[in-house]
Amino acid sequence: MSHHVTFKDLPQGGEKFEPAKGGKLIGTFGLFGLIGLAASAFFFFKNTDTFAYSWLFAVFFSFTFVAGGCFWILLHSASNSSWGVAVRRIWENMANMVIPLAILASPLLLPAVNRPLYEWMQHHDHAKTLAEHHHTSVKAALHHLVVEGDPDQHLAANPHLHVLVAKFGYMNVNGWYIRFGLYFLILWFIARTLRGKSVKQDQDGDIKHTIKARQFSCIVLLFYALTVTFAAYDWLVGLDYTWFSTMWGVYIFAGCAWSSMAASILIVIWLRSLGYLQKVVTDEHYHLMGKLLFAFTVFWAYISFSQYFLIWYANITEETRFYLTRNTEGWRDVSIFILIGHFVVPFLFLLSQQKKKNTTYISIGCLWILFMHLVDMYWNVIPERGPSLGQGVLVPYAWVQDIAALCAVFGTMGFLYLRGLAKYSLYPWRDPRLIESVNVIN
Amino acid sequence: MSTTLKRVHGYLAEFDSVKDLYHAAEHVRDAGYQRWDVHSPFPIHGMDDAMGNPRSKLPILVFCGGITGTMVAFTLETITQTNFWSSIGLGFLQKIVETYPTVVQGKPTDIWTLPAFFPVMFELTILFSAFTTLFGLLALIGLPRWNHPLFVSKNFGKFSDDGFFVCIEARDPKFSQEGTKSLLEKAGGKNIELVEDEI
Repeated sequence: MSHHVTFKDLPQGGEKFEPAKGGKLIGTFGLFGLIGLAASAFFFFKNTDTFAYSWLFAVFFSFTFVAGGCFWILLHSASNSSWGVAVRRIWENMANMVIPLAILASPLLLPAVNRPLYEWMQHHDHAKTLAEHHHTSVKAALHHLVVEGDPDQHLAANPHLHVLVAKFGYMNVNGWYIRFGLYFLILWFIARTLRGKSVKQDQDGDIKHTIKARQFSCIVLLFYALTVTFAAYDWLVGLDYTWFSTMWGVYIFAGCAWSSMAASILIVIWLRSLGYLQKVVTDEHYHLMGKLLFAFTVFWAYISFSQYFLIWYANITEETRFYLTRNTEGWRDVSIFILIGHFVVPFLFLLSQQKKKNTTYISIGCLWILFMHLVDMYWNVIPERGPSLGQGVLVPYAWVQDIAALCAVFGTMGFLYLRGLAKYSLYPWRDPRLIESVNVIN
Repeated sequence: MSTTLKRVHGYLAEFDSVKDLYHAAEHVRDAGYQRWDVHSPFPIHGMDDAMGNPRSKLPILVFCGGITGTMVAFTLETITQTNFWSSIGLGFLQKIVETYPTVVQGKPTDIWTLPAFFPVMFELTILFSAFTTLFGLLALIGLPRWNHPLFVSKNFGKFSDDGFFVCIEARDPKFSQEGTKSLLEKAGGKNIELVEDEI
């Protein structure tokens, strides 16, 4: 065709990113990260209880990007797609941010941090001391607290804890720690393997890496899905141990795919503004990525509404707590804002093809999407803080800590991610289907 | 049947491959023709650009259809199930139909019972969009019709198997017996024939 790009038109050895060129943005991320880390250290020692929530929010927000990047490379390989080869390295690098994320998430392993977050752990601790005292199992001790209470500490029988006895097989402290490690291990294994194959292909150009990546992806997709689902349960649903929702895993996954796609569009636009990927990425890629963004806008709305709808309609006490908390005082406005800003606005905005292809429009759209995803994550984590710690609906001035934690985690992650782009070529330059991707028309 | 009147439909040219067809389309587009079309056994990516086709108006129709669906569902549900229309001062609408709220699980009978209506609003949006897509498309491409003049050409039957064709119609203002033929020849067209339609 008239504008057909061939292998000879592209630079040999791919394009290497020079961090100095993007110094402004990288520096900004680094600066925010440093200030955030310093402020976080201060808040951590000052208000460990309330700051634990800030940190969980920031870590989980960053986690969604890693999980999302991982999903896109998995999907791309498993579905044998060729359109996204030109932008695949962006996702590969995003998924490989799992190691810095694991380091930043490690404070959650400290009892001082996870006990204020998860009330069920406090009950388990209590049951554990009882069990040691009476030489029984922790589960039996928990059951004891349900039916008889703890006379030594003047605690009456607490039937509310029965749910903890029923959930004991899954919801126990050791299991939580083991799964915490497993989630990062699985994500790291997936991200590392797929980028490893891709980088090897940069050297030998052998198609067998593409085929191997496809086989690998089809197998690990299931484990990926379980990882994201259960990570979402352990870290967020666990904030209120009485609550349950089978929609939750999918709901979080939809947010992961949505926000990471928005982020990758922004990264591609940024790289192109610095003079990279000029021949490799075209309007068509923006259009394709914009379409996926649109699809996940609808998917997220569908899933989150289904969750709300079933709980609202059935009106069963133990299920409605989650939404009652988020319908209290100011949180009600945030809920309505999410409905409009997370679904209606992006939906109408992304309908038009021209807007998806125009870099100015789509950048604004993607920034809005990242902002809304941030609000969504905030709305999921933070409303539990006040009630759980017995400090009312909103803990005064705790939002300062939330911003500090966000700067610390997301700033550091952004800084490391952008610098890490320099390590390999910006696109898999010897992928046999690169030319197909470069000339894609949809 | 020498008395049969015939009307020239246009020139039909055959091409060997997608690539040839694509380039031919670009030639015809650049020559400034308006009333012409390409025919291939399968859709060809990028052909719209090669032909210089403007964007279809269908999306706008579908958007309007979808919005209509949402509004219809919203109106039907609120008018029969809630006091919404009376509360905004349009109580007379409420008298058109019987308002008979179905109270389930203590749900309110005002606008805040809206989430219960979302599934229907969603479904009718889809239904109306789908109908507008189908019928709008049929209207825009002029289907259904009994016959097409191109079916006169014996060679044209290949379009549904392995033939790639360009047809420039006689009603195009730039159409001329010699000029159009030579353009198609230059573009690499084979088996060029003047298709004549019986009136």
